[in-house]
Amino acid sequence: MKAFIDNIAVEGKNIVKDFKLGDTTIRVLKGVSLKVLQGEFVSIMGQSGSGKSTLLYILGGLDTPTGGTVYMNGTNISLWGDEEMSKIRRQKIGFVFQFYNLIPNLNVEENIMLPLLLDGKKMREYKKQLNHILEVVGLSDRRKHTPRELSGGQQQRVAIARALIGNPEILFADELTGNLDSETGTEIMNLLRDINHESGQTIIMVTHSPEAAKSSSRIITVRDGVIE
Amino acid sequence: MKIILKYILTNVKERKARTAVMLLSILLSTTLLFVSFSIGVSYESAQRKMARGKAGRATVSVFAADSSIDTNDIPDLPAIRAKVGMLEGTSLYHESGYYETVDLIAADLSELNQINKPRLLNGRDISDFSGNQIILPDRFTSKYGIEKGDTITLQISGTPVRFEVVEIAAYDTVFLRQARGATALLPLPTLAELLGQTDGYSEILLEPAEGIGTGELIIQLEGALPDGEYGVSEIVNEAQIAADARQKSMPFFLISFFSLTMSIFIIYSSYKVITLERLPIIGTFRSIGATEKNVTRILLLESVLYGCLGGLIGIPVGIIILKMILQGMGQSLTQGIEIPVVISLPGVLLSFSVAVVVSLLSAWLPVRRASCLPIKDVVLGTVEEKHIPRRFIVGIGIVLFVGSAFLPNMASSNILYLAGGFSLLGLIAATILIIPLVTNLITMGLERLYGLIFKNEGRLAARNMRDNKNITQNITLLFISISAVIAISVVGNFVTTYISDVFHDAELQGFVDGYMEPGFVEQVENMDGIEKVLPVYVFENNVQGNGITFSRLEATDNLEWYSSMLALHYTDDTMQEQAISAFAGERSVILSESCMERTGFSIGDTIVLSNGAGENSYMVTGSFKSRAIDVEAVIFSTYAVSDFDATAYDFLAYTAADPDAIMVQIRDLFGDTSNWSRTVEEFNTDALSTMGAFLEPMHSMTYFILLLATVGVINNLLINYMQKRRTIAMYKSVGLSNSQNMKMTLIEGFSSGLIGAAIAIFVSYMEIQTIFIVAGPKISMVPELDAWIFLEAGALGIIITLLGSVVPIFKSRQIKLVEEIKFE
Repeated sequence: MKAFIDNIAVEGKNIVKDFKLGDTTIRVLKGVSLKVLQGEFVSIMGQSGSGKSTLLYILGGLDTPTGGTVYMNGTNISLWGDEEMSKIRRQKIGFVFQFYNLIPNLNVEENIMLPLLLDGKKMREYKKQLNHILEVVGLSDRRKHTPRELSGGQQQRVAIARALIGNPEILFADELTGNLDSETGTEIMNLLRDINHESGQTIIMVTHSPEAAKSSSRIITVRDGVIE
Repeated sequence: MKIILKYILTNVKERKARTAVMLLSILLSTTLLFVSFSIGVSYESAQRKMARGKAGRATVSVFAADSSIDTNDIPDLPAIRAKVGMLEGTSLYHESGYYETVDLIAADLSELNQINKPRLLNGRDISDFSGNQIILPDRFTSKYGIEKGDTITLQISGTPVRFEVVEIAAYDTVFLRQARGATALLPLPTLAELLGQTDGYSEILLEPAEGIGTGELIIQLEGALPDGEYGVSEIVNEAQIAADARQKSMPFFLISFFSLTMSIFIIYSSYKVITLERLPIIGTFRSIGATEKNVTRILLLESVLYGCLGGLIGIPVGIIILKMILQGMGQSLTQGIEIPVVISLPGVLLSFSVAVVVSLLSAWLPVRRASCLPIKDVVLGTVEEKHIPRRFIVGIGIVLFVGSAFLPNMASSNILYLAGGFSLLGLIAATILIIPLVTNLITMGLERLYGLIFKNEGRLAARNMRDNKNITQNITLLFISISAVIAISVVGNFVTTYISDVFHDAELQGFVDGYMEPGFVEQVENMDGIEKVLPVYVFENNVQGNGITFSRLEATDNLEWYSSMLALHYTDDTMQEQAISAFAGERSVILSESCMERTGFSIGDTIVLSNGAGENSYMVTGSFKSRAIDVEAVIFSTYAVSDFDATAYDFLAYTAADPDAIMVQIRDLFGDTSNWSRTVEEFNTDALSTMGAFLEPMHSMTYFILLLATVGVINNLLINYMQKRRTIAMYKSVGLSNSQNMKMTLIEGFSSGLIGAAIAIFVSYMEIQTIFIVAGPKISMVPELDAWIFLEAGALGIIITLLGSVVPIFKSRQIKLVEEIKFE
């Protein structure tokens, strides 16, 4: 852990989330509050339907809460519009999903560079950074392949590389080993742990695997919409 | 069964937008196919009606060798359904320098009504028709400003006779004619008295009974009538009429062809996506014990439902549209021809069958493939599309394209139409196979270009188009639609020009039919402003070649002028010079290509021309095609005088600084002598008003094609959006903003439109070449391609795609990121 652990990376205050199912409203998050500090590696655990993924998406700005607020570096992101949120996604946060979510017709390099390209950056200016990240995730020799030419583990590595290419302040991960076999899952978790240790990358990860959660520095358990 | 039906109906109900688009595609396809097919048949029927003219439903004419015949002379044969005795005479109308031949007809009205009832403009029946009364068609009365109740004077055998215009009829039924001039109906006793023929008729027209062919009736009549006293003939050559009508209705059938191709593509691509979407449901069905057959049946039933509904609604809609178009067409014709609305059973069955069969087949292919997938893969969502090597597909595409382009050039004349059909289909199919490669190549170039203009969003948009099946599908649909619009417009314009501008490329500016002594011609040559005068001797059905009668033989003293004035297209380029030098020497003749085909004569043959007055041997020195004249043979005028006793000219063509001024002087020269004279401009105006109106519906049909294309493209873009929702969500999850998404979608839309338009312009050019190679032997005119038609259609395609992008742009603003991303 590094020195900047004192600073808050993201904070949720009294977060409420309702979903409508036909005529019924279901409250998935019932006033959740939490703080994640810079450099922390937090695992959010809980049973299916407990609201853990919903909490992750709200903290990461992919979903909006029905009530409550989310602060990122002290700013209330719940009030931001599409343009500002998109910019935050490009520059300050990175997401890794269970099903990789890679653009199928772009190759590894292009998929990784996507956030920077959308931010108006020139690919050639980031060659060094790209080479470095490819080395970190161990895919230097597969840079020109498309996702369909890669294994599940390799695709998840690409997704991690894409999430990290812009040096984000926080990396959000949703069940990133859920679609992988145990050996590959362990490899991916080791990679995340190394990244957290070596560069102090803040990571918030949702998982239902206690094995995966062992890599994190703190575990939060969500049950029936509240933090235990 | 009940639960399956419930599942299908729930599917239809819950997916309203998709159901609506699918139904609309099938409905529009059915409507367009039905209308284009029926309008072609109706148009053919109108053409037949025009060609039959006064004969109406009658197909056989019986005339007596000694000038008059009575209806009682015709034996009572069961093969005859109806008969009418026609009394016929001729007269001349003179007004403001114009001379018009007016053929006079009269008949027992009750008999005439059975075969070809005259249609009065006021819709009433003819009554109290007697004395010096006359009924004229409005084509004639409107031209000369004649009103009902007016009195007109006609010259009959040189004597002026005054008639009261008692009714004005539509230019329809008995008044229709192929030859120039007009037909007038007189009371039977009046015409009989004027012609001095108080007994019998000029001819008896017969309509065969149901199921009896014209040939069969002729044989029966020839057997029943006394030998040598009567002549029996077929009124019109039905086969020839059908062939001519088919040629003129070609654009309508071309529309049918393209609408069918588009329908198949739209419906097939829609089902392909729908089936992919349904894979989880297919998996569920299979996992609980449904057999492959069960799954196929369930999904196919839904497609049958769409097909039947689309067909059932599409045909009545088509009938309404057909009636509206044909009514509009009839009204826009100044002559007021009633175009028969032919709703043929084959047309209805074909359209309905296409709706159901195309729907069923389009669904069957992907459904069958899906239901054969391993259950485990379907349930786990690990189905991967079968990968066929691109090189193989592109290779087939290129071979097919080249083969299709050359096929009509290599085919012999008897299989030319078949080859043309295969070539058109082949060009479309080959292009569909090549489009992914072409799209990839073009987008590689665009990636660099857009990078400079639109920065990273442009580069990403272009990159996103590479190896993107949705994009290639869109481009394919656009290509089919735009090329259809281009081909139909070009062919339609060509047919309009071809039919209405018979003097295209001909140098003459005015022409005269009439009796002209050499002195008359000399006076014309001395008129102020006259440039070229070409007098011609005409022998109609008078001269035989080796015993075969030429329908028209002409003689000129200047073959060079004759060729340029009447736009003679020689069979090969060197032939004209050879023919001209041969004319200057010994007796030679040039023949039309159709005459050569009919008679079997060849270049270099020596044939004996004779006409009773004399005979001599002529060498065939050339062959030609011409749309300006229907001449079969041309000889040098010196020999027409020496061999066939020609004394006066019958036809004269001229060019002049002011053709109208010359025409006025020529008409004055004729005085009260019968003649038919027109400047080319006058002739073309008349022809265009008739044929332009006939072909007008074809232009409105191209809008249908565009409408179908628009629905298809929007359907495709929606499907594209449905498939792309997840990709958009992926982009958004890494920071794509709504404005960036809009920019990228518009760039993609514009580029798809541009590529589709470029491919369509090229392929439609190839298609047009094929169409004209097939039609070529029958036409003597090179089509002129208007670049604007190509560019306008291309621009329209781009606009359609851009408009179609609006819905996905708005829909993607409301996308629920988490829902799209979280589950695969």
